[in-house]
Amino acid sequence: MSEVFPTSLVSLLAVLVPIVGGLIVFGAGRWERRVPALAVVAGASLATLAMAVFMVRQVSHGIEQELVLFQLVPPIGIVLRVDAMGALFAVTIAALFALALAHAVGYLPDDRRQWRFHGFALTSLGCMIGVSLAANLVTLLLFYELFSLLAWPLIVHERTPAAFRAGIKYLVYILSGGALIFAGVVLVYWLAGSVAFVPGGVLSQSAPAGMPQAGLIGAWCLLVAGFGVKAALMPLHGWVPDAHPAAPAPFSAVLSGVMVAAGVFAILRVLLEIFGPALLVELGVLPWLGAFAGFAVVAGAMLAVPEDDLKRRLAYSTISQMAYVSLAASLLHPTALGGALVHVTHHAFFKGGLFFCAGLILAVTGLRRISRMRGLGWRMPWTAGTLTLLALAMTGMPPLSGFVGKWTLGTGMAQAGGFLHLAVMLIGSLLAALYLWPVVYRIWQRPEQGDPLHAAIDQGERCGPRGWMLFAVLAAGLVTIALGVAAGSPGFPLELARIAADALLGASAWE
Amino acid sequence: MSPELVDLRPLLAVLASLFCAGAVFAVRHSSRWRAFWSLAAAGIKFALVWSMLPGSLAGKVYVYQFGELLPGVAFGFRVDALGLFFALVSSTLWVLTTVYALAYMRGSHSLHRFFGFFALCISTTVGIAFAENLLTLFVFYELLTVCTYPLIMHDENLAARRAGRKYLVYTLCGGGLILAGMVVLYFTTGTLSLAESGILDASAERAGLLAIFLLLIAGFGVKAALMPLHAWLPAAMVAPTPVSALLHAVAVVKAGVFGILRVIYNVFGIDLLRDLGYADWLAMLAGSAIVIASVNALRQKKIKARLAWSTISQLSYIVLAAALLVPLAALAAIIHIANQAFAKITMFFVAGAIERGTGKTRVDELAGVGRRMPWTMAAFTISSLSFMGVPLMAGFVTKWYLSMGALQAGAGLYVGVMVVSGLLNAAYWLPMIYQAFFQPVPGDEKRDPQHRARVSPMMIAPVLICAAYVILLGAGASAPAMPFSLAEAAARFAFELEVPLE
Repeated sequence: MSEVFPTSLVSLLAVLVPIVGGLIVFGAGRWERRVPALAVVAGASLATLAMAVFMVRQVSHGIEQELVLFQLVPPIGIVLRVDAMGALFAVTIAALFALALAHAVGYLPDDRRQWRFHGFALTSLGCMIGVSLAANLVTLLLFYELFSLLAWPLIVHERTPAAFRAGIKYLVYILSGGALIFAGVVLVYWLAGSVAFVPGGVLSQSAPAGMPQAGLIGAWCLLVAGFGVKAALMPLHGWVPDAHPAAPAPFSAVLSGVMVAAGVFAILRVLLEIFGPALLVELGVLPWLGAFAGFAVVAGAMLAVPEDDLKRRLAYSTISQMAYVSLAASLLHPTALGGALVHVTHHAFFKGGLFFCAGLILAVTGLRRISRMRGLGWRMPWTAGTLTLLALAMTGMPPLSGFVGKWTLGTGMAQAGGFLHLAVMLIGSLLAALYLWPVVYRIWQRPEQGDPLHAAIDQGERCGPRGWMLFAVLAAGLVTIALGVAAGSPGFPLELARIAADALLGASAWE
Repeated sequence: MSPELVDLRPLLAVLASLFCAGAVFAVRHSSRWRAFWSLAAAGIKFALVWSMLPGSLAGKVYVYQFGELLPGVAFGFRVDALGLFFALVSSTLWVLTTVYALAYMRGSHSLHRFFGFFALCISTTVGIAFAENLLTLFVFYELLTVCTYPLIMHDENLAARRAGRKYLVYTLCGGGLILAGMVVLYFTTGTLSLAESGILDASAERAGLLAIFLLLIAGFGVKAALMPLHAWLPAAMVAPTPVSALLHAVAVVKAGVFGILRVIYNVFGIDLLRDLGYADWLAMLAGSAIVIASVNALRQKKIKARLAWSTISQLSYIVLAAALLVPLAALAAIIHIANQAFAKITMFFVAGAIERGTGKTRVDELAGVGRRMPWTMAAFTISSLSFMGVPLMAGFVTKWYLSMGALQAGAGLYVGVMVVSGLLNAAYWLPMIYQAFFQPVPGDEKRDPQHRARVSPMMIAPVLICAAYVILLGAGASAPAMPFSLAEAAARFAFELEVPLE
């Protein structure tokens, strides 16, 4: 059993270092010097990654840490806790952000405004780490609101009218979601007298037996709907397909890879550590969650199939892929939950990588539409090769990372007897093949003579360095391979997910 | 019963600014001496009021009395937790506003009149905060009305005179209502002192009680800009910015809500009001005012008009919280006096700095101001986030306790009001921030040699201090010597609770 150590500053530093780094970078536009600003960006993001890795190592050795900072609304404090689920998500966030920041150095024009991007990205990195390490709902709400607001300037960074339209839509959705969450948190505190995340559920444990059923269901609806906006749970997904194409590609990667996942992560916290399995079964709300999630899996994927804009197609794919997690959570089975957690991390890298590819293609050729990408692979083999690899990973090809997540998810669902869930997930995977295969097919088609695309590439090759972008693309590909091949290694997502699932749902039937 | 100590400090706190006013009038045109006396008095009063904090937290009550005005009604001061809280807020903000005003008003006409009456306003405000009984409170309250008038019409043009007249008509009528209410109260109970659990009891006639409630609440409601008695406040935005700060944060509207709190907690008392059920109606009125005023704010094109409507909405938070009659909501009501004051005064300071720095007064002219005045607009952003109720900012503390209070009072509807109001606040603040930071600087301003607007550091420093305090109020609620602990004590005394609030 894991011990809880009272004080360790690592969790606080992991939140503060990127925020302070980001604030420093904001001034970089005025320095007019590239190297020191880059050094701050790299230093802050790599230091955060290192701290996240350190936390993962501690958790896999069975050490949990808790740090009480200050009281926000007495007696509720801001508390950071490093547990398996949080550490896994934190390391995912930190690693994907590090890649995205590298990609952004190449992707964004080299002017003063790029430091604004890096500044906001670093501060939202800090707040997202805060989300993953939050030990109670108020802490979660604090960091959740802050990173949601900090994401806005990143979405509208390119300042096109379309970007501003998408930005407004994002804000309306997210702020409304935040308002629902606030009401939900208030209700939970009123009912339970505590908002701490406790394995088994604080509402199941600390509340008197005669709690009003309506209040509990109300709190559940408010919280799940509020976080569901961020988690792109259909029908609350409206901002997703607009925000992704509008944002600069490195930030689209972060949006899809970890920001939507933050919504899902929060839903998991609410389900398992606020309500708790026993209460959820008693309330009978899980089939509803399963139904909504299953609908999102299928409908999101079906919307992705006819979409011609590559980033939009990927955005719809995110809606579908992230709904796997809620679908699995609705079964309350440890293996399925473990699979869901693994899937979150694996998805971050292959989906992030796909967005990196889309960004690189866009930067070099100016192409967004899949139908015009014919023959691209022969001109940009590394990018297209990685894109193919990542697409294969997403469809669940062994031994890539996508397979591990889906296999664990699938076995978990089967063990829990959720064969309908399993069928829905398999349909989602088939549809994933259906919307990704045309992309792969199109880019590897033989080019036609006199295609304007190639003139564009020839120009693009002269128009500046793309090493940073290519680095991010290849790194995402390598991570995807590594997470698949070495999935069973200690300290890897599978092990952490197992620890987390054991802690949350009791001993599992892992083999 | 809390121990009462005879102490000179309440009197000195009132006299400090009174003396300052006299000195400022005496030195007339010497701007250096005017600045010296204003700052010295502000500093002395600040120290005097804060020096009473530790004692008040320990449950001590400082009193100082003169002879009787009416049989059984003395003219005197009594410093309890609620009064001290109000005095702390206004004397702290007076220091900042004085610094700001010295820079903002430089070169204006009749400055001795301005600073003299400014000091008088603060003097009367502290008198209101420390008043031992309703009559003392009323005297200072009416004096405040009179002293504010020359400030509102400082510009001496048509609009300023009209606004001043409107203000005077509204507030004098309000004063008349209070006087009538006081008369009925005096004949019902034979006393006007503000007791900890109220001076009225259920034995009095119902009609009389209703009359007292309506007269007093409507009377104080005028200054509290309680809808539908609010019309003077948006009109008064023609006044110079430091006066707006005085109206919206330091003194005037706060005196109104403070009066309402006194009526609810110390004249009627919680138990009686709960039996009578009048407060439910007041809560409903305030709840709808929160939403309606916010919708109106959304439609305003002038920065200061938007701020004024936001004040009307925010003050109704306090009235709503007080009318819920539960301890947690009372805590929200009291703490929001400080939260609203610091956030709103930041915004008014910013509006004034923008006006001085770039000459802009309208929301749609803000494009690019964030580039020209980054620190100022950053402070504005912080207070906007506070009004939206983003955690870590002062506004969240209010929103949280008010929502908890609503649940405690069994009126979950008001949690919905909080949620809607937070969204409406986002809808009218975020576009301004968007304009300032994300719209490009218009072409002709780019060529302006004074591209980076030059504003006196004496105007920027108060802005930054207030904004920092907004965060401190939001994040440091549990730190020692923060207003929160005093508000908590005041809420406990109002409900006669021994244990700390949960």
